[in-house]
Amino acid sequence: MLPFIGIMLAVLALTLVASAMLKGNASRLAAIAGSAVAAVLAFALLGTVLYTGSFGTGESLASYIPQLNVLLDFRLTAVSLVLIVMASIVAFVTLLSGNVEMERLRVSSSLVLLFELAAIGLFSSANLLLFFIFWDVGVVALFFMIYMLGSANRRHAAMKFLIYELLASLLLLLGIMMVYFYTPIHSFDIAYITSVASTVSKSTQGLIFFVLFIAFLINMPVFPVHLWLPDAHTEASTQGSMLLSGVLTKFGGYGMLLLFSMLPIASAYMVPVMILAAFSAFYSVLVLMVQHDIKRIVAYTTIVEMSIILVGIASLSAFGTAGATYAMLAHGLTVALMFLAAGSVGYMFADRDIRSVSGVVRNTISTTYAFLLGIFATTGVPLTTAFIGDVLIFIGAIGAFGIYGAIPLAALALLGAFLYYVVNRSFLSVKRKSNAVAYIGRSQNAGYAILLFFILLFGILPFVILKLFGI
Amino acid sequence: MLALFVIVPLVAAALLSLALGKKPKAIRWVALSASILSLVIAIYVAMGPQGVSRLDWFSIAGYSFGISIATNPLNAFLLLIVAGITPLIFAYSIGYLDTLSEQSRFYTEMCIFAAAMMLFAISGNFITMFIAWEMLGITSYLLIGFWYWREKAPVAARKAITTILIGDIMMLMGMLLIWSTYHTFEFAALATVADSQALQVAMILITLAAFTKSAQFPFHEWLADAMEGPTPVSAFLHSSTMVKAGVFLIAVLLPVIVAVHLQWLLIIVGIVTALIGATNAIAERHIKRILAYSTMEDMGLMFVALGFNAIYAAMLLFLVQAFYKALLFMDAGSIMRINTDKEDIYNVYESGARKGVLISALIGSASLAGIFPLSGFFGKAAVESVASNAVIYALLLLVEILSSFYIFRWLIIPSRKAPLEEDREIVVNAKTMSKWMAAPAYILAIAVVASSLAYLYLPRYLLGLTYPVISITGSIVDTVVVLMGALAAYYVYAKGNRSYLSSTHPTFHKIMLNSMAVNAVYVYITKAVSLAASAVGSIDYAFDKSIYALSSMFVKIGDVLKKMETGQTNTYVAAFIIGFVILLLAVVL
Repeated sequence: MLPFIGIMLAVLALTLVASAMLKGNASRLAAIAGSAVAAVLAFALLGTVLYTGSFGTGESLASYIPQLNVLLDFRLTAVSLVLIVMASIVAFVTLLSGNVEMERLRVSSSLVLLFELAAIGLFSSANLLLFFIFWDVGVVALFFMIYMLGSANRRHAAMKFLIYELLASLLLLLGIMMVYFYTPIHSFDIAYITSVASTVSKSTQGLIFFVLFIAFLINMPVFPVHLWLPDAHTEASTQGSMLLSGVLTKFGGYGMLLLFSMLPIASAYMVPVMILAAFSAFYSVLVLMVQHDIKRIVAYTTIVEMSIILVGIASLSAFGTAGATYAMLAHGLTVALMFLAAGSVGYMFADRDIRSVSGVVRNTISTTYAFLLGIFATTGVPLTTAFIGDVLIFIGAIGAFGIYGAIPLAALALLGAFLYYVVNRSFLSVKRKSNAVAYIGRSQNAGYAILLFFILLFGILPFVILKLFGI
Repeated sequence: MLALFVIVPLVAAALLSLALGKKPKAIRWVALSASILSLVIAIYVAMGPQGVSRLDWFSIAGYSFGISIATNPLNAFLLLIVAGITPLIFAYSIGYLDTLSEQSRFYTEMCIFAAAMMLFAISGNFITMFIAWEMLGITSYLLIGFWYWREKAPVAARKAITTILIGDIMMLMGMLLIWSTYHTFEFAALATVADSQALQVAMILITLAAFTKSAQFPFHEWLADAMEGPTPVSAFLHSSTMVKAGVFLIAVLLPVIVAVHLQWLLIIVGIVTALIGATNAIAERHIKRILAYSTMEDMGLMFVALGFNAIYAAMLLFLVQAFYKALLFMDAGSIMRINTDKEDIYNVYESGARKGVLISALIGSASLAGIFPLSGFFGKAAVESVASNAVIYALLLLVEILSSFYIFRWLIIPSRKAPLEEDREIVVNAKTMSKWMAAPAYILAIAVVASSLAYLYLPRYLLGLTYPVISITGSIVDTVVVLMGALAAYYVYAKGNRSYLSSTHPTFHKIMLNSMAVNAVYVYITKAVSLAASAVGSIDYAFDKSIYALSSMFVKIGDVLKKMETGQTNTYVAAFIIGFVILLLAVVL
């Protein structure tokens, strides 16, 4: 098997350098080319794994910190492979069509590439220290995206984002240190830790679980540590929002899956976590209903969806894990689509308030239908990716928690009901004269098409991805 | 699995009409020919072998989830109804929808809908059914809101999708509960499973979901509003096919419903909805909404029949209702077209220049009322004959008399003579009306008459029974009741002053038009949710602000401490001396 991860990271790093040196649209085009290669490589990797029927033995590129026995080593699991595919698609579309305004192309393209590098590295890293390093690189890249490229109130939002994320980072580091010192042979290696975790005493495990749980909870985000997300999304550029919701929140989701599979103590906390997740789903869907900014509304859908994903993770079953992964794949693609549509609306109308924007459909039919199909995909209509995720998550949840496991589904009904109201209000309505000031270009339509294609592809052909869980 | 090919032409047509946006004139012919091809395949499927075939879709943790295609008599029955009505609707649309810019969107959505409905008809497990079920909801939403620039259409579409979405989630919950308990999604396997608490909860959820789709109390209000959509949509989705998905699902699952003793729910909800539908239809003035309330009533009757475990009675009404209701909607659309899209029955007039519309409307109305040799008689009499409970039987007779009254009101009021100044315009409109709008109605009128024969053949086809006898007494009672209703309508509206009920008997009118009250309840529920939302929203806001206040407190403490750093040497020296003295005292004492 080719060292795909190494090649992907190298391609992205080289493109990053090229993109930082070039100017203007050349920089953007270089970045698009680089991330397209990365996406092709991700699919080639997926194809290779499916064809050979194994994830390979992992890739060790170099010794990074010899004294601590830390290698630049990467491994693949079903979860990480799915998320790598998702991240590479989302990053490609972000570069292709996310910058609706076509402003500050060099900075934005370079930062997106840096973030994509971090994401792919994080999802494939085989040890926790590497995981932590990529985590922070990703956070810093997005911090600059918000800080430099966002809207008027961006500095405040960026700082808020950074403070929350730094808290998560520090807790993560603390947790990793604790894991390192409490394993018999001090090690950061995830596979090794998983195999020896049961020898660690219950109370220590509980402490480690708590620290890491909070760290990942902040990143996902789930109530009560979700407050950074709406502000960050509202103020970030379209590209920033697409990556924040589409990929960054999956850092937490992926970490949470790792945590629940790593520590046996997790099974003791299933019920409280489930209750927290269910509460968070209903809480955030109610908060969503009083928002007026389209981006803020979409941002809150992220909290709802991530809460439902946490339900799947908390069920600690094969179904729940596969479902959470599938739902993360679905949510990454869907929310990128929704933010692209919201960003396009913001660009076209210089306004994103559902009370004043109206008649989107008269200007671009594509944005309206992209948003509408995004809603279908969010509420888990069959043949979209989210449906498979929902089915698997709730089969897992009902298996673990009985009839009560199905209750969080009701949050989806509320979510859908409000999103249709938004459509009513701004998209499929031309009561007043449309007040658009600009029009989106061809690249945005291409972005919609690509994301919709993959949303439907993974929804119609779920066996491709789910076969990975049987390997 | 061969049966799955029945949806292929329609899916292809949907994609093609999306692609043919630049050549709108070709789209209608593509859609029509696809629907005819589907009909041919459907007939072939219905003649073919019965049974269930399965195709794996995905598998996980040792369980496999698949698409199941059933071609049992019940499935073939619905498949033939849908496949038979689709070409007629598409033909009607050719005459109805003459705006070229709308062709692509309309036929794409209609073809997806028809394909979904056919998939629903032949689905053999919950997953297949749910795929079709959600597609029905979505296409219904898109088609109700087809004219999104009108004032009421988007609101009506949202009302429909919100109700249907609630049903979808209940359905998903129910089917996942069933899977988690029995590890199967197959309908056929469910008939033999043991009773359990999860099954009971699941069946209640699924029954409620069926009620949302079939517009039963208390989820019924969306259907009347759905009449904001184009008339072909009303004739297709909201009378003959999509809304009956709920009825059909319950019919398929009837053995399970009987096993968990839920028949009472079907009977009560059915009869309440039938009464609500019939009374509203009497008070309503919108030409299509009257028919919508009537549809609601018919579906209520079907649920009552299912509640008495009489699948053949429900399916007989199911069949004949599809024909006469599609016919009536087509005629309503024609009448509206003749009257330049007016909708109030007191403001529209039928024209002598189009006698066919009047005659086919008469056949449809008489069938709906249940007048002897027409098919509606057999449908309604069959439902009444299975009602073994005296109270329910009496209520059914009441519904019967009301429905006869409102449908003749619907027929009589527009058939009066138009004022002279409007008459000219009406005649012109009638002469220019497309033949495509008239021809499908004539075919349906023939179907309405001919489907009386279903009484002889359907029970044998579905259940292998010799045909059940509707008792002579029951038939006579039924006919008398229907004639009473018809005569009352004739005396009130043809002989009488044709006055509006709302002006002469305002209180009575309010009771009859009780949909207002239901709408008010909906509004209260919405208000309660938005109140909860604003409460939680302000909690979230306060939460954010308090964290902000907490963090700025640290800054303030820093500010206070900062003031000590004055940079003045004498202050520092003074502080040093004071501190030193305190330290000294502490040591000494």
